[in-house]
Amino acid sequence: MLAGWLDCSGDDVSAEPELPIRERLAHWIEHLTHVLPAQAPIRDFVHHNTLHGFQHLPFTEALAAAQALTGATTYWPESRFRECLASVRISPDDLSAALDDFGVGDLDQPVVRNLTRRDILLASLTFGCEAPNASRQAWLLDETSLADDPRFAYFYRSVGLAPSKGASENWQVQALARWDALCGRVGRTWTWRALLEYLSGEDVLEWTRSILQRHLAAHLDLGVAAWRNPAQGQGFFAAWRASAGLDLAWEMDELPNARDEILHLPDSPLDVLLEELPRLVPDHSQWYGYLERLSLELPGWSGMFLWRDRNPGRGDGTPVAMLDYLTVRVLLERLLTDDLLRRLAGSPLSLAELHAYYAARPEEFLVRAALHEPGLPEDLLGRAAHLVQLAREGHVDVAEWRHLAAALAPAMAAAQDDGAAWQMAGLSRQLGLMPADLETLSGDDLTALQTCAASLSSLQRGHIWLLAYERHYRELLFSALTANHPRQATPGAPSAQVVMCMDDREEGTRRHLEEIAPDVVTYGAAGFFGVPMFWQGLDDAGKTALCPVVVQPTHLLRELPAAGEERSLAGHAARREKRLRWNERLYQATRRRAVAGPVLTALGAVPALASLLAVTLVPGWFGETARRWREQYEGRVSTRLGLTAEQPVAATPEQPQLGLTDAEQIERVEAFLRMIGLTAGFAPLVLMFGHGSGSQNNPHLSAYDCGACSGKHGGPNARVFAAMANRPAVRAGLAARGLSIPDSTWFVAAEHNTCDDGIEWYDLGSTPERFQAAVDRLLGQMAEACRAHAAERCRRLASAPFKPSPWKARQHMIGRANDISQARPELGHATNAAAFIGRRQMSRGLFLDRRVFLISYDPVGDDEGRIVEGILLAAGPVGAGIALEYYFSTVDNERFGCGSKITHNITGLFGVMEGADSDLRTGLPWQMVEIHEPMRLLVVVEQTPEVLTAIVGRQPPLQELINNEWIIVGAKHPITGAIDLYCPRRGWLPWSGQAVLPQVARSADWFAGESQPLAPAIILGGVR
Amino acid sequence: MSALLNHLPNWVWLVPALPLLVVVINGARVLLGLASGDAAEPLTARLSSLAAFGGLVLLLAIDGLALLHGAPGHRRLGHWFGTGNWEATFSFMLDPLSLTMGTLTALIGWLVIRFSANYLHREAGFHRFFIALSFFLAGIQLVLLAGNGLLAFVGWEMCGVSSFLLIGYAWHRPVATGNALFAFITNRGGDAGFLLGLGLAATWLGGFEWTALSQASKISVVNDRLLVIGFVIAALAKSAQLPFSAWISRALEGPTPSSAIFYGAVMIHAGVYLMLRLEPLLVQVPDVMFGLVVAGLLTAIYAWLCGLVQTDVKSALIFATLFQVSLMFVAIGLGWTTLALVHLCLHAAWRIWQFLLAPSWLAITRDRPPPPPAWLRHNQLLYTIALQRFWLDKLSHTLLVEPTESFSRDVRALEEHFIDHAIGQPGQGKAVHADRPLVVADGLPGRVLAAVSDVLQHIEYRLLLRGKGGMAEKLMHRAGAYLRTLEHLLEQPRYLMMAVMATFVVIL
Repeated sequence: MLAGWLDCSGDDVSAEPELPIRERLAHWIEHLTHVLPAQAPIRDFVHHNTLHGFQHLPFTEALAAAQALTGATTYWPESRFRECLASVRISPDDLSAALDDFGVGDLDQPVVRNLTRRDILLASLTFGCEAPNASRQAWLLDETSLADDPRFAYFYRSVGLAPSKGASENWQVQALARWDALCGRVGRTWTWRALLEYLSGEDVLEWTRSILQRHLAAHLDLGVAAWRNPAQGQGFFAAWRASAGLDLAWEMDELPNARDEILHLPDSPLDVLLEELPRLVPDHSQWYGYLERLSLELPGWSGMFLWRDRNPGRGDGTPVAMLDYLTVRVLLERLLTDDLLRRLAGSPLSLAELHAYYAARPEEFLVRAALHEPGLPEDLLGRAAHLVQLAREGHVDVAEWRHLAAALAPAMAAAQDDGAAWQMAGLSRQLGLMPADLETLSGDDLTALQTCAASLSSLQRGHIWLLAYERHYRELLFSALTANHPRQATPGAPSAQVVMCMDDREEGTRRHLEEIAPDVVTYGAAGFFGVPMFWQGLDDAGKTALCPVVVQPTHLLRELPAAGEERSLAGHAARREKRLRWNERLYQATRRRAVAGPVLTALGAVPALASLLAVTLVPGWFGETARRWREQYEGRVSTRLGLTAEQPVAATPEQPQLGLTDAEQIERVEAFLRMIGLTAGFAPLVLMFGHGSGSQNNPHLSAYDCGACSGKHGGPNARVFAAMANRPAVRAGLAARGLSIPDSTWFVAAEHNTCDDGIEWYDLGSTPERFQAAVDRLLGQMAEACRAHAAERCRRLASAPFKPSPWKARQHMIGRANDISQARPELGHATNAAAFIGRRQMSRGLFLDRRVFLISYDPVGDDEGRIVEGILLAAGPVGAGIALEYYFSTVDNERFGCGSKITHNITGLFGVMEGADSDLRTGLPWQMVEIHEPMRLLVVVEQTPEVLTAIVGRQPPLQELINNEWIIVGAKHPITGAIDLYCPRRGWLPWSGQAVLPQVARSADWFAGESQPLAPAIILGGVR
Repeated sequence: MSALLNHLPNWVWLVPALPLLVVVINGARVLLGLASGDAAEPLTARLSSLAAFGGLVLLLAIDGLALLHGAPGHRRLGHWFGTGNWEATFSFMLDPLSLTMGTLTALIGWLVIRFSANYLHREAGFHRFFIALSFFLAGIQLVLLAGNGLLAFVGWEMCGVSSFLLIGYAWHRPVATGNALFAFITNRGGDAGFLLGLGLAATWLGGFEWTALSQASKISVVNDRLLVIGFVIAALAKSAQLPFSAWISRALEGPTPSSAIFYGAVMIHAGVYLMLRLEPLLVQVPDVMFGLVVAGLLTAIYAWLCGLVQTDVKSALIFATLFQVSLMFVAIGLGWTTLALVHLCLHAAWRIWQFLLAPSWLAITRDRPPPPPAWLRHNQLLYTIALQRFWLDKLSHTLLVEPTESFSRDVRALEEHFIDHAIGQPGQGKAVHADRPLVVADGLPGRVLAAVSDVLQHIEYRLLLRGKGGMAEKLMHRAGAYLRTLEHLLEQPRYLMMAVMATFVVIL
């Protein structure tokens, strides 16, 4: 599996040795974009598949390749899954079915007597394969109930009786073989640094990073430092060399020659690289592999450097070339490993001689390797560590190494035997075999048992657990959909139609709205509402793209002062500018200016302390008051949209067209309404409901915003859409195309703050008089729904009040959003698990626990599936990106996520470090994912399997996502309601299961007092 | 009521004692396994917050009293220990300086504890963090409110320990633990100065009371200078002035609120406070004051230059803080102590806000700060020096940390190679004589015992076992003959009389 991936990567990168080195390097750097984190500067955090570079591979293979490449774990640890089994989050049936799903062959063939392969594998999964180390085993066997288990006694006795394999006699040979294997890893899965760390316990990466980190941050900085490297304009290599050549730190670090070497380097980084690389790796074919390893050792910094290299327009004009970075990195690797090698061997030694050096000293190697051996007795480990430490300080006699190695070798063999005994005992315990049964088993039987239990690799086991974990939730969801099928009611004349973002968080808002106002119909769609655009608000200095990150908008929409407000705008702008300038002075000058700094500090001190007191004690009040004061001071300017362009122009993303022409507006509105299936039966009011998130003191702010708007607020898109749909010219054009919106319908727009559950309404002043009553009613209903939603959100937050009233919950959320001490202002997409593409009727009246992306689509009249094809193409990658980013940040928060927020430190305005000296941390912080259930997104489409098969057949991007199992797809038949699940291996599998669900009157009855994930339930009040 | 009010200042010991009590309670809860899971968090946070708030209220009440009736001044609450020449007491100083700083610190401490309750929710080190923070609060209040140097020194050390614990909060990261150790060791240089000052004060002034220390005119200028220099070293180290500056830029590994209160707002000002407290001593020695000006100015240049090149928010803020603290030292050196105190309080209030808002930097700033003047901007050497922070951390590492580490290694080697062998270990004994395998011994005491037993055995063997014909027997026989002769003589009356007479002589 892994080899296959390496081959395919090899195809790209090392199969063209004839190419000039410059071109090969360009290819290599291009290829690095697949393996390094692709996170943009943190201001523009957009969810994407963390393993986007592996997406061309099937899920399991991609995870294996990523694990081999980065050392990260790609599944939850088995212990976590076993806890789920204990708490019935996974049932034994799920696990058994997961074995089938995984495609393990001959599951029901007996292996030993009447024990089938399935029995043995299930027992092995439930018991676990990791044996604790010797000391813990001994403790468990002495102190816990295992002591009374005769099976453990049986196997440990038989191990004691079994003759030692004689491994301890020829340990020299084994040590040599092992050493050869380790050396072989260099350039493939290891760098020299990794090998030397293995040997010496000393990691020069720490050193490399602290040398490199200040220079890297200084070069990439987007606005923290006042003073930049004078040589910065010549690129990173030149800037680094200019400083490093003057740096006395080399001498202090006892690398006296390093500075000379740096001073005499060639000017071209390429020459330096070509000089240094062969010293590390003589073999040309391994160069790329080595560079990849090196880059992956500091994935955050490498990834950011590469991102800036690839996106020169998004920086500050500083030249950033990945080649510079690689050159410096290679040079440092060589300098520092040379130094470590000299200290390790006690005399200068080249990397090429390292192999021979330890080949001649197998005893020393064995002792050093033993430190990485699991399951060794602690006293031996202590002695080994002590000897290695002694060797670091001075010479250790070969006799001492040999003496200890001789003691270690049998212990290492014994640890393996003990591990085997532990596993066999556990297995037979799980299988219910008694010592009496065991006595009757032959040695071959036992071997067969052992082989069968160990036949799955740890990755395969992880995947089987994941399948079981996903299946459990999927069964619940499918039975909910089936149970809800007969309840589908076609709404009569709705009082309002509300179009929200497909976001999983809005599932809650929609459900509560429907409970509160049963005559309201809701829709869901990607939150840019079919209007990809650049937006420039009244107060914005520049334009912002509000659309999915893959789309390049070519239209700029601007917020303009309403007619007659131009004068007040000038005042507003001046006062706002003044406020911001003072703000800037206070925060920047107090750290930068020598004279003004203390003065401004004195000025700001008392207000600062008062603000701190207020924001700590009454954050909600403080936030609201500050906002009100700000508004009062700046003055409110009523605004309008610069919506319409007279003439179409040739627009590019760099030179966008101002506004949309009538034709473009008609086309956008029509396409969107047809997509969500709203083409007739318009209610008096149609509300376009975008969303964003507002929280304080949160570097990851944009990770909570609308994913369909590139991590920005989606309100402007809603506002633009409503304004377009209200224009008579547009309506006339729509009617000409057979989509007539009656005059009795008015579009309004609003933005939902998903953090404090507040709503900002747009352009209510322009609503015609005849809609006023309906608007007032809708305003009340929406506010009530948001309050109810706030109460539901409280149940997952430990610091929120228990079972709050909606009012109290909303007050809590306001406080939370304004609280500077809150590391979890909201939980973002932490609960996402599935997506429904279909009519709301399929899910209306179901409690889905804010876990499902709801995308509106009407299968009626879309027999070809053209509409759903578009939806899948747009929403599939967005949903998969969110779900997979959460998945990987959850399963290995250290490698794929960015750890805990509390030590984060904003660096260069492009990322966060832990403390003041660490790798740049990418991915989601632990606070965002701690309650996430890591699963792949389950997409249920209301369409027939045949149509979906045809769509996937003609769309390569969907083939990649679906056939490689990055998302799981189910189909719900539009008429019969039958559900089929797609399996790339076995095709469509009809689902049959129980469809009995608990029924409650309202959501609040179901979630009251609960703090854990909840199963679906039928909400009787949700359907009219 | 008024009697109660008048006694209020005598309760000031509660200000440091309350957080200390909370440390004990929370520590016990952690040790007993009572503090785990979400449910245990509010109690830990509330207890800490309550203790801090209690201290704040008490100090505010005393402040009110001080405003009405004048500051209570020096209060001696009890005897601690001492000899005829000097005495250590439990005494507190409640003058305007202590009360101002104590109240501000109590307020900031309380706010930071409240901040942390949300911020650290569900962290593995939640309880550990609050214990360390409360411990710090007790320590810093002891420094600020203590009426004598010795008590202040106890608080000084408590601050040092809690700082060490919180820099190493993320103990699984080698950078964090390394920096914690670095800060700890560097700060010990200051402690040596503090102890020197205290020792000299005890010898020359007969006590540690601040009131006694301020009467330094009684001693000669030379003695005064020596005394002051000790405290100045302590102040420079705690406030990270040159040459001790390096530790503070490496102390930012802890959670944001601890960085804010230790290095942004409170602890970094402890050195300034010490200097303000010892102002009467300082003014006696203008040359030391000049030294303060020089150290302050040099630190200011260092911090300003380094601050210009910092690329991460916390480092940028720490150098800005250091810069202004060094201005306070300059002000004290010039004799402008009131200005220094006002600056200190305002600075602490501003920095706590700025540090706690460090994660907001993306939202609260717009532009890159303006670059330095052109002559500086294009100087590659100065840039490198600033980027490498004048190589101070490397120098401190080489001069302070490495010697300490090698010293500890040497001590360990000494123990392993000599002391362990000398003391010996049970069960590791080796036979002392090849022919007597039952007698085994290890270490010096073991060997001594073995040798003693050897001798005893030898005697026993010679005297008793070898029995007849031995040297001892002959001697015994001879002694027996003498004794018999003596007895025979004593039985004669004239010798009996002589014996009686001799007895009387002795008695008289």
